[in-house]
This record gives sequence, structure tokens and C-alpha cells, in this order.
Amino acid sequence: MAGALTERDFVTKLERAGFTGIEIVERTPLGVDDCALYPLFTPDVLDLMRTLIPTERQQTIGVAVVVRARA
Amino acid sequence: MTETGVTRDLMRSAEIKQIVRSAYAAVDSSSEQLACKLYSPEELARMPQSAIEGALGVGNHLRHAEIDAGETLLDLGCGAGIDTILAAQRTGPTGRVIALDFLPEMLERTTTAAAEAGVDIIEPLEGDIEAIPLADDSVDHVISNGVINLAPRKARVLAECARVLRPGGKLTVADLTVDDEELPTEILAHPATWAG
Repeated sequence: MAGALTERDFVTKLERAGFTGIEIVERTPLGVDDCALYPLFTPDVLDLMRTLIPTERQQTIGVAVVVRARA
Repeated sequence: MTETGVTRDLMRSAEIKQIVRSAYAAVDSSSEQLACKLYSPEELARMPQSAIEGALGVGNHLRHAEIDAGETLLDLGCGAGIDTILAAQRTGPTGRVIALDFLPEMLERTTTAAAEAGVDIIEPLEGDIEAIPLADDSVDHVISNGVINLAPRKARVLAECARVLRPGGKLTVADLTVDDEELPTEILAHPATWAG
């Protein structure tokens, strides 16, 4: 998550790599409770998220996108 | 030797890779909950339990992927193999599916799960997604699920995808994006958020 790009930057990097016909075909919000499903997020970082991220933002701290493009 | 911005970036890049490598090597298995959230019961019904419990993706990109029978497909960061196997079931026996991961443990899990699923067209390949060990124009389709955000040099990863794809080849990826509004520094600085 710390290395994730914004959707705009992701699309820009795809364009710069030479991809065309770039489409975002799905967007799914990812919240703190979703992160808890992944063993990669340790209990202490989940606690930090629940403490430091405002409650109203905890349902969407990231967005999982599905992207299609052509070389 | 004087430390430059470039060497600092490379050091940071190596550090991030090591964090990701250690975190993924330590993952024994997830729960079924994540796979049940991302995949249909029909998809899970033809999947070995080890691949279900090892699912760590962020979406189901294969739902949107146009996979043709017989195509050569590369799964970038195959993990425990759930997407690799689902893709191989769609390319059919005339296809070729290359499972790329930087962890031998993950390649072993994918190979074992593929054998359990009765899929024999998967080729494990150990390597770095920033330097894909395949020839130019050698792949019809690149898929990836929740992996590109883990790479320190994402532009390099995408350039490598473009290089190995034949002209007109397909890219279908699921990945995590964030809003412009950054998360608190304490969270971003935590090693677990570089791997998760």
C-alpha cells in the first residue's frame, strides 16, 4: 500500500511504457477491514490504521483497480 | 565514494525489495475469506485448497481478461498460483503459462497446486519483475494481481511488460491505487505497508 500509485499516475506510466487502449474496467474500494484479511498487514499496523485514519476514511483507504491495455 | 541521489534510491529500492521478499516468504497461508471475496464458487470449485488459502490478490482481473486458447501468458508475481491455474484452464492444453515470481517458495507452491489441479502447461520462472527473464515479443498476454504496487520501480515493470509482449499483446492487471490524499506518515513508514 505504501508503494501504490494514484490511478492517474498508474495510467500515465502505462502510457509512457507504450500501452494503448487503456481502460479501467473495475474499481473496488479497499478499507481497513479488508486489509485485515491479508496476513501481510500485521496487527500493529492495523491498529495504527484504526487509530490514525479518520473513521470516515477507513472504508476507503485505497482502490483496487482492474486495468486492461494493449502493447 | 560519495552517496548520490541515485545510489540512495537504489539502496532504498533494495531495502523495499528485501522487506517485500521477507514478508511474502513468511506467509504460510491466508484464510479462505479473501479468496471467497474475490473469486466465484465455480472458480474455487476447481482450485486446490493450497491455492485458495494462498490467494493474496486485490481483485479478480481474470473476470475481465480475454484469454484465448493456445496463447502464451505470463503471470507476473504468481504467488501461490490461483490466477495462474485459472488462466491455464482457459488457455487450454495448447497454451503456455509462465509463472514468474522472485520467491522459489511461491514457485514451488504454484507448481504443486497446478499438479493437484491437473494442469501441466505452467512453467515456473524465478525472476524479478523489474527485469523479466524473457525475450522481447515472446508473450501474448501479461496478467498480474496486486503485485506491481510492491515494486520500487513501477515504470520499469511496465516497460518490461511492454517489452515482452508481442505488438498488440494484452495486459490485464489488478492493482492497488491510492487517493492523492496520503495516509499518515506513521503508516507509510511501517514496513508492513510496503508488503501489504
